[in-house]
Amino acid sequence: MANAFVATFEILSFGAIIVLIVLGLGIIASMMGIFNFAQGEFVLLGAYITYLAYARGLPIWAGMVAAPFVVGALGFVLEALIIRRFYAAPIVAMLGTYALGLIIRESVRGLIGGFYLTVPEPIGGSIDIGAMHISAWRFTIIVITLLVMAGCYLLLSRTSFGLRMRATLENPSLARASGISTPLMYGATFAFGSALAGLAGALIVPVFSLYADLGLRFLIQGFVAVMVGGVGSFIGPVAGAGVIGTLSAALPWVMAPVVADVLVFVLAIVFIKFRPQGLIAGKGV
Amino acid sequence: MLKTMGAAKQAVHANVGSEADVPVAKSASTGRKILPIVEGVVLVAALLAPLVLQDYLTVFATRVIILALFALSFDLVWGYAGIMSFGQALFFGSAGYGVALLARDLDITNILLVLPAGTIIGLTSALLLGGFLLLGRHPSSVIFVSLGTLTGSYAADRLARGWYYLGGQNGIPSIAPMSLGGYEFTEGPAFYYLVLGILVVVYLLCRFLVRSQFGLALAGLRENEQRIAFFGYKAQHLKAIIFTIGGAIAGLAGSLYAFHEGFVWPNMVGVVVSTQVVLYVLFGGSGTLIGAVIGTVIVEGVSFWLSDNYRDVWPIILGLLLLLVILFRPLGLISFVLGERERVGSFGAKPKEKRNAAP
Repeated sequence: MANAFVATFEILSFGAIIVLIVLGLGIIASMMGIFNFAQGEFVLLGAYITYLAYARGLPIWAGMVAAPFVVGALGFVLEALIIRRFYAAPIVAMLGTYALGLIIRESVRGLIGGFYLTVPEPIGGSIDIGAMHISAWRFTIIVITLLVMAGCYLLLSRTSFGLRMRATLENPSLARASGISTPLMYGATFAFGSALAGLAGALIVPVFSLYADLGLRFLIQGFVAVMVGGVGSFIGPVAGAGVIGTLSAALPWVMAPVVADVLVFVLAIVFIKFRPQGLIAGKGV
Repeated sequence: MLKTMGAAKQAVHANVGSEADVPVAKSASTGRKILPIVEGVVLVAALLAPLVLQDYLTVFATRVIILALFALSFDLVWGYAGIMSFGQALFFGSAGYGVALLARDLDITNILLVLPAGTIIGLTSALLLGGFLLLGRHPSSVIFVSLGTLTGSYAADRLARGWYYLGGQNGIPSIAPMSLGGYEFTEGPAFYYLVLGILVVVYLLCRFLVRSQFGLALAGLRENEQRIAFFGYKAQHLKAIIFTIGGAIAGLAGSLYAFHEGFVWPNMVGVVVSTQVVLYVLFGGSGTLIGAVIGTVIVEGVSFWLSDNYRDVWPIILGLLLLLVILFRPLGLISFVLGERERVGSFGAKPKEKRNAAP
């Protein structure tokens, strides 16, 4: 019983982390049609900013609050300077964002060296339920993920900003004709997606510690999750992330980790092949 | 090698410079000859390289030639057929692992066995993956194919890292050298000329392939897949064929690489090498075979030449340069000397009549 509970918690917590990372990736992929290879590096930057705050003696949570804003601002600038040129060609966008990611990753590698730097958890200790202990910070991540998910959903579905965003992405020329500044909306969407990545990086750095390939580790899982969930909506990638995250965390409990690791990818690719529209088809929120 | 390459480039520039004075009409007819000149200069430079290079540089040059062969395989797939294969290292690495296992477990190092074996491993894995990703009732999207190959390569990397039989993180060290009868190919000029010979043969075969009717269909595929399908070509089959050919070449390169380096390790099947080959080809110029070779030589050469002090900065510079190339020179460095018309080229037997047939 206790084991099953711990396993469930582990699976949930890893699923939450994947969802958190995929949120930004999914918004950019769904709304803009760009598979952002630099997303992993935005996660890395968020983690790095948190580490910087910690190393300078500031409270860790200050770094965690700052990370999404800084990374979001960077995303806005990069969109205006570079990403904007790629909208017509999805493959070129992949290559261009890959180059961007390479620059960011190698710069961070230069700054931190080849080390694994640890950042302590802002909420340490464990929550005890009877005889079972679960990490308080991992529990916090699950809660924050749920909050962020709900917040994004409400932002996209209930606010006028969300409406304008969806209008721009669904039919740019009609949106322009209706008086929406589409370049601004693209910039804002990209910045929003980047900010989510920054937040994800900031939250997970106590769990995974900081190293240059931190973002890369999640990037491909994120892409697979977006494809499984279905590009075009907000809910799709989130659902995909839930499935992929849960599978990646659950399968190693029942089979050899190596096989489980590869099996998740194989299953995902086979699934996408036979259902290209993903779990949740169609546009919308 | 680098110096000779530099000289080669200058020679090419001088050539272009002298032609700039010629009236336009004339330069159109003489301008068609730049490509063979570039190819010839590169070949001569490659042939002479071991004579002027020190031993350790010859070893390095051999590695570059093998990687150029690998780059050629990616160029065929992306530059000519427009399939973004982000997992080309999967075929490169699995062939490397295959021949390493042959050498380790079965003591087979005969060059006449291992190279075909490596090629077949690459071909088979590309056929399986390509067939799965590309064929089917509904045509697959470019995004799906590129992410599918990327995922395949990543999954293979994880598998190689975790599987004890394949040596795990450490890979398979100290592979016995390739042999032919009693002769063993160790690092050095003999190995260099062997891989150069293979590269030239493969290059010529590819050149024939992309200038044939099949190549014309591929070029059409790259430019407008739907239209090619309307003409009655089976676009998906063409793609699967070229993907498989690319995989076979990557497999050949991978088996040479395994024997040359003497070990294989998980990165060889993974995303790192997969993206590296993309860099080579984008730098040099995709859609021209020689561009892939030149790109490999430049990227590898410069990163080798930069001292250890700069090696940390080099990947950042590489990223910046790549970004600049993508933004401003989408056809790569080769487009500085090669005109658009010559890049697209002519197809089939009689170029004069078919000049308008090029897309």
